[in-house]
This record gives sequence, C-alpha cells and structure tokens, in this order.
Amino acid sequence: MKKDIMRLGLALALFAAGACVALALVYTVTEPTIAGLEREQLEASLKDLFPGADGFEPITSGLDSGTPAVTFSGSWKASKAGETLGVAVKGAASSYGGDAVMLVGVSSEGRIVGARVMTLVDTPGLGANATNPSYFVDKASKTTFTGQFSGKAVGDAFEVKKDVVAISASTITSKALTSIVKEAGGAGSAWLAANAAGGTR
Amino acid sequence: MKRMWKIFVKGLVVENPLLMLMIGLCSAVAVTSSVSNGIGMGLAMTFVIVFAELVISLFRKIIPSDARIPIFIIVIAAFTTMVDLSMQAYFPALSKSMGVFIPLIVVNCIIMGRVEAFASKEKPLDAVVDALGMGLGYTWVLTGIAAFRELLGNGSLLGARVMPESFQAILFFTLPPGGFMVFALFISFNLWLKKKAVARAGAAAAKEAA
Repeated sequence: MKKDIMRLGLALALFAAGACVALALVYTVTEPTIAGLEREQLEASLKDLFPGADGFEPITSGLDSGTPAVTFSGSWKASKAGETLGVAVKGAASSYGGDAVMLVGVSSEGRIVGARVMTLVDTPGLGANATNPSYFVDKASKTTFTGQFSGKAVGDAFEVKKDVVAISASTITSKALTSIVKEAGGAGSAWLAANAAGGTR
Repeated sequence: MKRMWKIFVKGLVVENPLLMLMIGLCSAVAVTSSVSNGIGMGLAMTFVIVFAELVISLFRKIIPSDARIPIFIIVIAAFTTMVDLSMQAYFPALSKSMGVFIPLIVVNCIIMGRVEAFASKEKPLDAVVDALGMGLGYTWVLTGIAAFRELLGNGSLLGARVMPESFQAILFFTLPPGGFMVFALFISFNLWLKKKAVARAGAAAAKEAA
C-alpha cells in the first residue's frame, strides 16, 4: 500500500514536471510578444485620445476611484511642450460578459475628450455594439455609443436613458461603460485641478 | 489504411462528439455566435486533443491506472495553456473575443472522454487519427452553427456584412435560445446523414453477399 502511493505520486510528479518544463518554454517565447501587444494597444489609444500630445507620463498617486464598482488600473498625464493637456484614465467595471476596460481622456477644461473600449466580452449584435464603429446611437449625426461621451462635461449626470443613450437591449453593458466614464471623468478632473493648476490656461 | 480511415471518419458523422455523443456542449453553444469564434475554438480544441491523445497514448503503458485521471488533466491543461498563450501572442483579437472559453478546454469532456476511452488503450498513430476525426467533427459543427447564427442574427459572415441593407437582423439567433434551436437543427441534420450512411453501407454489404 505504502509502496503503491509512492509509485503513484512519483508518476504524477514526473508528468507534472514535464508539463512545467514545456509550459515554461512556451511562456518564455510568447511573453515578450504579449507584453509588447498590450503596450502598443495602450500607446495607440493614448495617441488617439490626445492627438496633439507629445508625451505621456504615468501618474503614480492621487488619482483613485471613489467607488468600489469601478477600479482604475492606470492613468497618464498627456502634455505638449510642458503644458498639461489632460489625463487619460484606464478604468474597469463589471459588465455583462465579465470586466469591461475603458480608457477615458479628460481635458484640463473638465470635459471628456473621448472614451475607448479596451476590453469587452459581450454578445455580438447586442452589447458588443459598444465597439461597433457602424452602430450609431444617433443615426443622424453618426454618433457611436462611446462617441457620445466626447465633449461631455465631467459634472454631467451620466445617467443611462437620460443624458446617455443606451445600446438597445444592453442596459447592463451601457450602464457599466457609462459608470467607468463618469468615475474616470470625475477623478481625472479632480486630479487635474489639484496637480496641474496653473500649468494650463 | 482502411482501418485508419474508419477511425478518422467516425468522428465526423456517425460518432460526432457534439451531435451523436452529445458531449462538450456548453462551450459549443456559447462561442458559436460568430464564425471566427467557431473556427478558432474548433482549431484550438483540435490542437489540444491531437497532442493530448498522442502523449497519453505514447505513455499509456507507464501511466498507473489509479492515477490516470490527474495525469490526463495535467497533460490536457498543459496543452490548453500553450494554446491560450500562443493565441494571446499571435491572435490577440480572437483570444479576446473567446474570453474564458479557451482555458475551459481543459474541462471539455470530448477530450477527457476520448483520452479515457481511446488514447489510453490504443497505439499512438491510431490515437492521433481518432483525435483528428473528433477535432474536425467538432470544428465543422461549430463553424456550421456559427455561420447560421451569424448570418441570421447579425447579417454578416466572418465579420463582413453579406445580407442586403434592408435585412433586419434576427437577434434571436445570436441569443442562447437561438443557439439551442440551431443546435437541434444540426442534430436532426446529422441523424439524416447518418441514416443515409448506414443505408449505403447496408446496400454495399448486400451487394457483396449477392
């Protein structure tokens, strides 16, 4: 009996060790590519939000989410020739198909300059329309769901079905994304007021 | 050669894992709302099942039968993680849209079932052929269901719009109930295929006898 357990344990350990070696190899090969892709995507989105900026600097302290429903995973200060243009905040909230991650740009004037969805797992034809460039909440002006946030003042109500148009049949997704924009806008402009005052006009 | 062909072909229709054995269904219904997801999931799962069956068949004599289930899981999980990492690195968009379903290949009962019922008893070459048949059987069904659902539920195929502008997408097919209905249609279609295949085999046998 004792011998039997030793034998089983040994066989199991052998297979586990083999699997570990193989996985370590694959991980070493793919890890740089995965990290590079994430960085690229982030840089492209930052540039997209602040096309005029010439530098992005990570913000390390003082910019935190005020509600447990939204978590911030990073924020950057966009500047041009030493002048602060605004901040970009990466925030996540629980949505219909898991966590949704957005990058929200806030200008020094207290307006949302834009909002981009980074990660969203949702139903095609429903919630996934949040990232569909040809799905318009306002057909006349060709405004997409995230496009409607551009230019909004951070002090606005941000209430779905009132000042924010929902994606049809996807209230949960609409609310989650809106909450990220609202929280990022509030926290971002508060940080700008406290830390970059004087540097902007 | 004929024997190999028989092992391969049974996974496609007669013993199709989804439509006849009815295993591995939850991921199948969950990812089939778009064709690219269906193909991606099918190929990922085919890769895992081929290598898992190969490795287990190679080591079948030294795997102690009392500890076989944990060993199977270690092998399957290792290959699944490899697929997951490679997809994140080289197909980031696909990896994002599949979300949690790639890691969940570990507990896909098709792989577990074939490894236990086939690979742990048969020779490596046979195991690989069996895995290819099962993997392709899984992939064609996923792709078929996904094409049906994406076309009617979103008016597109592989993300490109194919239906005329005036076509109003039928959201029902994108949602889970539509998935179940299309799935049921595929089951009946497969039963019809199987009936034809059996009838043909019967006719051929009768001819030989006469």
